[in-house]
Amino acid sequence: MERRDFLKATVLTGATSALSGCEKPAQKLVRFIPEEDLVPGVATWKPSVCTLCSAGCGLMVRILPGEAEVVRGGKLGTIQMGLAKKLEGNPNHPVNRGRLCARGQAGLQITYHPDRVNGPLRRSGPRGSGNFLATTWEEALSEVVSKLGEIRSKNRPRSLRVLSGRLRGQHGELVRKFLKAFGAPPAMVFDPLDEPVLRQANLLSFGQASIPSFDLARTNYLICFGADFLGTWNSPVAQSAGYGEMRQGRPGSRGGFVQVEQRMSQTGGNADEWIAARPGTEGVLALGMAHVMLKEQLRPHVQDNATRLIAGWSEGLPDYAPSPVEEKTGIPGKRIERLAREITAHVPAVAMIGGLPLAHTNGLFSALAVNALNTLLGSVGTPGGMFFAPRPPMQEAEDLTEDGNFVRDLLGAKLDGTDVLLLHNSNPVFATPAAWKVRNSLAQIPFIVSFGSFVDETSELADLILPDHSPLESWLDDVPESGTNRAVVSLAPPAMQPLHNTLAMPDALLTIAHQLGGDLGKALPWESFQDMLQDSMAPLRTAGGMHPPPSPEAFWTQVQEQGGWWGDEPKQSGRLASPHGRAAVKFTEPQFDGEESSFPLHFQPYVSQAFLDGSLAHLPWMQELPDSLSTIMWGTGVEINPKTAQRLGIEQDDLVEVRSQHGRLMAPALLSPGIAFDVVAMAMGQGHDNFSRYASGRGANPVTILAPVQVAETGSLAWAATRVRVSKVGKARLALFSGGLFERPFELQSR
Amino acid sequence: MPRTSDEPNAHLVNHDLVNKDLLRPVALLSTRFFLVVALLGMVVLAGFSAWGYQLYNGIGVAGIRRPVFWGFYITNFVFWIGISHAGTLISAILRLANAGWRRPITRCAEVITVFALLIGAMFPVIHLGRPWQAFWLIPYPNERGLWPNYRSPLMWDFFAINTYLIGSTTFLILPIIPDFALARDKFSGWRKRFYGILSLGWRGTQRQWHRLETAMQIMAIIIIPVAVSVHTIVSWDFAMTPVPMWHSTIFAPYFVAGAIFSGIAALIVAMVFLRRFLHLEEYLPPVCFDNLGKLLLLMSLLWLYFVFAERLTVWYGNETAEVSVLWLTQRGPYRYLFWIMVACNFGIPFPLLAIKKLRTISGTCIASIAVVGGMWLERYLIIVPSLSRKFLPYAWGTYRPTWVEITITVATFAGMALLYVLFAKFVPIISIWELKVGMREASESELPIVAQADLRTDNIAPERANKQAGGRGQFQK
Amino acid sequence: MSHRWGMVVDLDRCTGCEACVVACHAENNIPTVGEEQALKGRAIHWIRVERYYEGEFPEVRVKFQPVLCQQCDNAPCEPVCPTYASYHTEEGLNGQVYNRCLGTRYCANACPYTVRFFNFFNPAWDKPLHLQLNPEVSVRQVGIMEKCTFCVQRIKSAEVHAKMEKRDLREGEPTPACVQSCPPKALVFGDLNDPESEVSRMTRSRRGAKLLGELGTQPKVTYLQREDWNAKNI
Repeated sequence: MERRDFLKATVLTGATSALSGCEKPAQKLVRFIPEEDLVPGVATWKPSVCTLCSAGCGLMVRILPGEAEVVRGGKLGTIQMGLAKKLEGNPNHPVNRGRLCARGQAGLQITYHPDRVNGPLRRSGPRGSGNFLATTWEEALSEVVSKLGEIRSKNRPRSLRVLSGRLRGQHGELVRKFLKAFGAPPAMVFDPLDEPVLRQANLLSFGQASIPSFDLARTNYLICFGADFLGTWNSPVAQSAGYGEMRQGRPGSRGGFVQVEQRMSQTGGNADEWIAARPGTEGVLALGMAHVMLKEQLRPHVQDNATRLIAGWSEGLPDYAPSPVEEKTGIPGKRIERLAREITAHVPAVAMIGGLPLAHTNGLFSALAVNALNTLLGSVGTPGGMFFAPRPPMQEAEDLTEDGNFVRDLLGAKLDGTDVLLLHNSNPVFATPAAWKVRNSLAQIPFIVSFGSFVDETSELADLILPDHSPLESWLDDVPESGTNRAVVSLAPPAMQPLHNTLAMPDALLTIAHQLGGDLGKALPWESFQDMLQDSMAPLRTAGGMHPPPSPEAFWTQVQEQGGWWGDEPKQSGRLASPHGRAAVKFTEPQFDGEESSFPLHFQPYVSQAFLDGSLAHLPWMQELPDSLSTIMWGTGVEINPKTAQRLGIEQDDLVEVRSQHGRLMAPALLSPGIAFDVVAMAMGQGHDNFSRYASGRGANPVTILAPVQVAETGSLAWAATRVRVSKVGKARLALFSGGLFERPFELQSR
Repeated sequence: MPRTSDEPNAHLVNHDLVNKDLLRPVALLSTRFFLVVALLGMVVLAGFSAWGYQLYNGIGVAGIRRPVFWGFYITNFVFWIGISHAGTLISAILRLANAGWRRPITRCAEVITVFALLIGAMFPVIHLGRPWQAFWLIPYPNERGLWPNYRSPLMWDFFAINTYLIGSTTFLILPIIPDFALARDKFSGWRKRFYGILSLGWRGTQRQWHRLETAMQIMAIIIIPVAVSVHTIVSWDFAMTPVPMWHSTIFAPYFVAGAIFSGIAALIVAMVFLRRFLHLEEYLPPVCFDNLGKLLLLMSLLWLYFVFAERLTVWYGNETAEVSVLWLTQRGPYRYLFWIMVACNFGIPFPLLAIKKLRTISGTCIASIAVVGGMWLERYLIIVPSLSRKFLPYAWGTYRPTWVEITITVATFAGMALLYVLFAKFVPIISIWELKVGMREASESELPIVAQADLRTDNIAPERANKQAGGRGQFQK
Repeated sequence: MSHRWGMVVDLDRCTGCEACVVACHAENNIPTVGEEQALKGRAIHWIRVERYYEGEFPEVRVKFQPVLCQQCDNAPCEPVCPTYASYHTEEGLNGQVYNRCLGTRYCANACPYTVRFFNFFNPAWDKPLHLQLNPEVSVRQVGIMEKCTFCVQRIKSAEVHAKMEKRDLREGEPTPACVQSCPPKALVFGDLNDPESEVSRMTRSRRGAKLLGELGTQPKVTYLQREDWNAKNI
């Protein structure tokens, strides 16, 4: 009998409670019988799926037998088991094609993390005190079942809420089916790295509320507004691979790259030309280029839904002549003209927007402007341009936008009346402004269950922690949204046996559903998540990718071996549907919180190369990874231009206070040439109160002091809209890996 | 050794008094001695504790880091090996040059050499990451068939320092034997037995004297190239690497000159203290300090010349990496230390030594203390700035010593002093027989005839001694 | 035919993402030293991505430059090691023999690229992070120098397997961890003794240059210079 099945059986029959009641962990180490067929010293490679960001790359995991200390049946002992030693990209996976980013490599440390929750826990002190006591799966699951049964019997199914991170693939399907069958509202998704403004713009411009993909390998000119596409944005590995080909993959032909941002990012460091337009004016710059292209007839005039959304387009964008654009953006008109001529002389060309520009109050305008520019360039759905990844022909219950939105529900007081909250893969207490008081709101919910593997700022509020397996120990599936020109469903069996007494979240949900029975049991008939996956993949057997289609058994085996299913390359990108009847937009000045006189500097938090939104701060490799630009390790810095610092009397390694209208934080200063004079920037991800020994009490969290400004059209946080003031308050130490900033500092001095 | 005209102790006539004066430090045990030993001993103990702490916890308790992988320990290494050149210069060079004023100071100098070498030679072991395997540097046949890498300057160090140590020890110990014999004859009780063993049966026969003189002559000739080679090789620890401002041909003569410079200064300091605390005013007359002071002045000028020549070429050559290191000491964070070093090595000594009126015992003492400090700084400023700014600016880094390194450094100074004090307690710090050679011939006519062959029986008839002296140490002129 | 391993770093492809840095940590059991030691400049990254700024805002430029052991043919670190812990292998690598290292750190001073790293303390892994350690790579103790080995364990493993299967090594075999992970494919590795291998061809590129080549270390890593958009007529 498989161990998983054994666990389930004991849970259902209550056998484990009898066992765990009698025995205490033995003093002596027992040797358990290996549960796998292992040859010492011989490595095997197993496919898996990377879950650390929205890219959804495919992995190959190197497994070597080794001896691990584990607890089985309440006894502490050792066991020979296959241990994951190294992660590589899956060479066959269409998104990353064998390559893997820094964060993906570090995912290995999640499984072996010393602070992983290694068994079900029940809160034993006041909420949020961090005191938990070990309990059994049988007790924990039955408590959840009883709580849910209670609210169902009281006819209050809508008082069950799920707060989750990104929900894709069958994971997402399972949650949606569960909630629908229970009668609860849709899951509230909280994913700080999502791009709701971009989705909205793409829905309006192209009829698809999706994040686009880019055919960089065949483009000759890329202008990118603010997106860190080579670092953390969207699908960085696929985009980097395309970028590499764009540069040196075509003998005799090299694509050019222009980046527009106020703070030099890792991506911006690679640009041939770096343009620091004023914050919130990126859309103006894009339309300024479009104006020149229309005026000088560098491109055939296009009238499309995307362009119709821009006020004044059919008149040739009179408001975006070089002169007014120069006034707004700070970029000389001549430069804009040159850019327009350059880009059109080097088609196929494509424009990209993401990150900070979309975090302004006028972010939607900027996104629509770039969509119009792409339309004018003829780069929508063409080689070297942008496109939307094909969706696999799977039965999907609902579209992504059907999920709820945590921020919307939080701010709309929709959390009131929640009796039971299930937490999964999300840490809003950490990643939201203090002004939103998320912790208070959540803490009022009577019963909170977390499926997380770690105690963090949100899961520490839980009454029960039902720790999920780590990704490498789980059945995984994913449907990547971007970075591929063919439909992809990633799928992989567990690469490793579970190290600890954890339970896969989907399997826990299925167990709870079965115990609750009724509609819920009917809606989720599968014994295990594995079965659900197998069923869901069945329609793909004949949907392409494998020619001729294999038998169902062979198909299932092949899918597991190669790490998923991928369809054939689309022969022709289809034309996209265009909804009608939206009002045209025009540029509005971005709104900022805080008077310029008291808060003279723009505050730009940015997604961190090491920690993303903070969800990876617990990984020691990521703490010690020097940031590509700042080279900071184990800390946070306030990046400030040396001239500005001098004016404020701040020197390198001074402790500074950054104060907005809604909070203050303290962190060491980092003098950096690559930032505008009126901007200070901080990487997100540090400043955790409680997130493992490596991240707790370290650095500062820039998100906390953000003003609760929202982008009107989407309700998402406008995280670039805060103004701050900075002052020196003391001395600090910042662990930098680098010494000198300049390669020839000496020559610079003599200038 | 034939006498010369510049014998500083020519005025002394009374052998018995000489014996008494020079053996008294050996004979007496005062409270002050115990106090000094205890104090110095505690500091030395602190140093050993710090080293033990480092051995237990790992070399990381020191301040070394990437890219400054050598810091205080190698500074001390080079410094103390440099100090050890005192002996060679005084004993060997002055001996070969027939300078009579070296007589009272040879042993002081040779002792510095041996102890400085011992202390300096500890540092290659202290600074190792895995010192328990230091014996791998010894070329011994082993079952792995592995020999050390003879191309490495560290192996050259190993051989050179050991050779110099053996040579200097020989050079020190041989001429002590007649003085041990004298002590054996003058003392009674346990001291008589103790010195009896140490004197190795010395009878003072013609043949023994001849052998001794020959041996000293040979050693004097051999030890000079050995000493030059030692600090040349130490300098090649740096010059054989492509590190900016290390990779310089000037390093070999620069280091040797610097070593002699610091050695003389250390010697002067030692002599001043001995003179004061052991009441050896008559035996270490001002002329010794005057001559040593002149030598120190010469070395100071030579040092300045080397430093200037090196820096001028670097600045003029304008090679990026080298100039960035130069700027560290001229304009950067190390500039204060740099100018302190120049003040200590030239600014203070030059007037004190060049102006005759100021070239007194106190003057040379102050100058010497400054030079000792300045030369330590010089080693530091050679090693650390270059390593902190090599070719790739991204990899630059700043060094900061920790308490472990500082404690051990201070402990070596205390250790040197302690060894010196202990030595002076068991061995006459002034070479009595050599002194007497200088004495005897000057006042040949006045002195009672002493059998040349029998220095051992130096018992002058009491009445004669009294008639002569009427006290201690009078000028005869 | 004997092999001579070399690498090409295409600076026009490199994006500065540091995937190579973490891949190397995972493959080679590189210790995490912690904040205190990182503050003291003792963090260990066998491959690092150097970042240099040029100019002042707004005319700022950034250059990324991955630096790893250049496996120099005329390595300054080799003659100076008193115990032969740093030596030149027959396949052209600069080998570091961990158990022969005394920790004099002379090699680290001599290396102009500052690619050598030292274990200032005994490394420690909070359990069960130690389960991730690669059994094919030694874990170094205090006092031992370490540096990039071109993943010599992978080279040896590939050679052993090829020998067992009675064949030559194929193109792309072996692949060091950094090369394998690099998303824009900026790193290329292979046999310089094979003139048709990708690494040999790219070493001959007109964009090729050696890092600190003027020092005469004869490094086996060739850097392909980043092209200047404005200077090129496309």
